[in-house]
Formats: sequence, structure tokens, C-alpha cells
Amino acid sequence: MADVELKQKVEELIAGNPVLLFMKGTPETPRCGFSMRVVQVLDTMDVEYGAVDVLPALQPLREVTAEISDWQTFPQLYVNGELLGGADIVEEMFDSGELAEALGVEQPEAAPAPEVAPAQSPPLQIE
Amino acid sequence: MAADLAEIERMIADALPGASVSVTDETGTGDHLRATVAAPQFEGLARIAQHRLVKAAVKERFDDGTIHALSVRTELPG
Repeated sequence: MADVELKQKVEELIAGNPVLLFMKGTPETPRCGFSMRVVQVLDTMDVEYGAVDVLPALQPLREVTAEISDWQTFPQLYVNGELLGGADIVEEMFDSGELAEALGVEQPEAAPAPEVAPAQSPPLQIE
Repeated sequence: MAADLAEIERMIADALPGASVSVTDETGTGDHLRATVAAPQFEGLARIAQHRLVKAAVKERFDDGTIHALSVRTELPG
């Protein structure tokens, strides 16, 4: 049973942000290869998005998203209130042009930045 | 404990009759797997819903800790 207050907060965030990414770390400093891949895709699209770092409350947030969208792993990309998917789905939909369509933007001409191996090493810090 | 790839394939195939399923070990450690699934049940479903069907089929192996990660690629049967 998920925390009621946290669930309400998450629902408000999803409703209030047309494009919202729940991720491990931040767009500037992703803490997981899968989250980094979604950030790289989104950064090639001409779209503003909100990002929530799930690491400070990982398990409570898993319980909340399990109830809201029947999905427990992060990253999770929500578009217009609906869960689109995690890294696999976002990349597949980017490749097929479905992501641009869902976001209501033009498909970028350039491919996303080359994939960085989801290594165990700490994320790059660019100051 | 490493996952039994054939068992994982069978669990997905049993949940989605008529599907063609291929499961590989992504990291050589037996707990990060990749499943490629083509199933007639995917017709008309959003990708997230297709992935939910696959993950639900192997939920037991997530819950018991055998699998830590499962990358999924879904397609409609050709």
C-alpha cells in the first residue's frame, strides 16, 4: 500500500507537467545508464520536461507508481498524464518517430548522442 | 542464482499463446536479460501495455530475485 500523501504529490506532478521524467539522478548528473539514455533522447527533442530524482525515496516511489501505472522500475517518462515507458520504449519510439508524435514536436534530424555504456563508474561531472 | 533462459522463454510463451520469444543474457551474469517477443496479443496495444504483458509473465522470477533487469523489445508477428 503506497503512501497516500506521496501518491497525491506524484499525481499532481504528473498532471502539472506535460512531459515529466522520473529518473535516478538529475538530467545534469544521471545516476543510472537507463536514466541517462532517456535524458539523451529528450535532449535531442525540442521539448521542455520536468525531472524528478527518485533516489531519495526509491522504494516509496516504486509503490506509488506501481499503483498509478502498474510500473515499478525507473526511469519512467509521462507524457500528457500517461506513462509512455522506460528507456527501452522511449528509444524504440524515438527510432520510429512515435516519440516526436507523442510529444507534438518535429523529429530531430540528428541522431541522439552516442550511447554511453551504463557502466558502474560514477556519472561524468561537468562543471 | 542465474536465470534459466529456457524457463523464462517458456513463461512468456505460455502467457502469450502464439508468440515467438527469444531471451538472451545481456551481461553474462544471468540476471540481466533481454527478451524479444512477437505476439498476436500486442495488436492495438500501446508499447507500455505490450511490455506490461511480458513483464507480468515473468513476475515470479523478479519477485524471487532471479532476474534483476529485463529489457524488452516487442513487435507484432510478421
